[in-house]
Amino acid sequence: MNHEATRQQKPAFAHLIWWFLFAQGGVVAAILIPVHVLVQGILGPLGIVPVVDRHYDTWVRVLGNPIVKLYLLALIALPFYLFAHRLRYFLVDIGVPAARTLPAQVIFYGGAIVVTAVTIWVLLTTAPISLG
Amino acid sequence: MARGWWLRQRHYFLYMVREFTAVPMALWLLWFLVEIQRASNGPKGYYPHSSPGFVVFSVIVLGFALYHSYTFLSLAGVIIHIKGVSSRLIVLSQFALWFVASVVIAAALIGFAR
Repeated sequence: MNHEATRQQKPAFAHLIWWFLFAQGGVVAAILIPVHVLVQGILGPLGIVPVVDRHYDTWVRVLGNPIVKLYLLALIALPFYLFAHRLRYFLVDIGVPAARTLPAQVIFYGGAIVVTAVTIWVLLTTAPISLG
Repeated sequence: MARGWWLRQRHYFLYMVREFTAVPMALWLLWFLVEIQRASNGPKGYYPHSSPGFVVFSVIVLGFALYHSYTFLSLAGVIIHIKGVSSRLIVLSQFALWFVASVVIAAALIGFAR
């Protein structure tokens, strides 16, 4: 393998990771977000159905479950890799060429990483992990 | 490129709407993260959001979220290729998966409230 080939493979590998996160974020957002918004944002607050996050006891019990924590991490963090990409191109398209630059990429994709870290922190500090 | 290029054609406009769906969905997920975090304040510090403003916000977000789901799942027919399976069937399977997942999640969100 010569040096040129090595150089060419690096950006492709990075692309693979970002595209994987982008695609997963897209799938998670498409399949999971609408039902959460409908049930927790509309039906619950209107009192049409009982919802788990309407009461402290039921909410904390569910939040303590490690599988729920993992699910919520995927639900909240993954879409931000899609959002970062879409927002950056949205800005480019409405006439902000600076959104194309490397600092903009660091801010947007770095923002998604920050959201991931904050979500992990919130999930680990909110309700103690319990298998009950 | 002129700034308002995307306002000239319906197709371009819808493309921009699709890109923009990221903003309301991101705001709603950040609200959700706050809702999770507030559970650490103890039973007295916890009160669920019920304001009409929040419901209106959720209705708007739901519109954008559904548009993302529709456009993203429709793309599966272009992205996924399986020999002998028509792209129509692949798209249908994605919508079926969406429906089943929604029913299961709704049942869990409501069922664990008791």
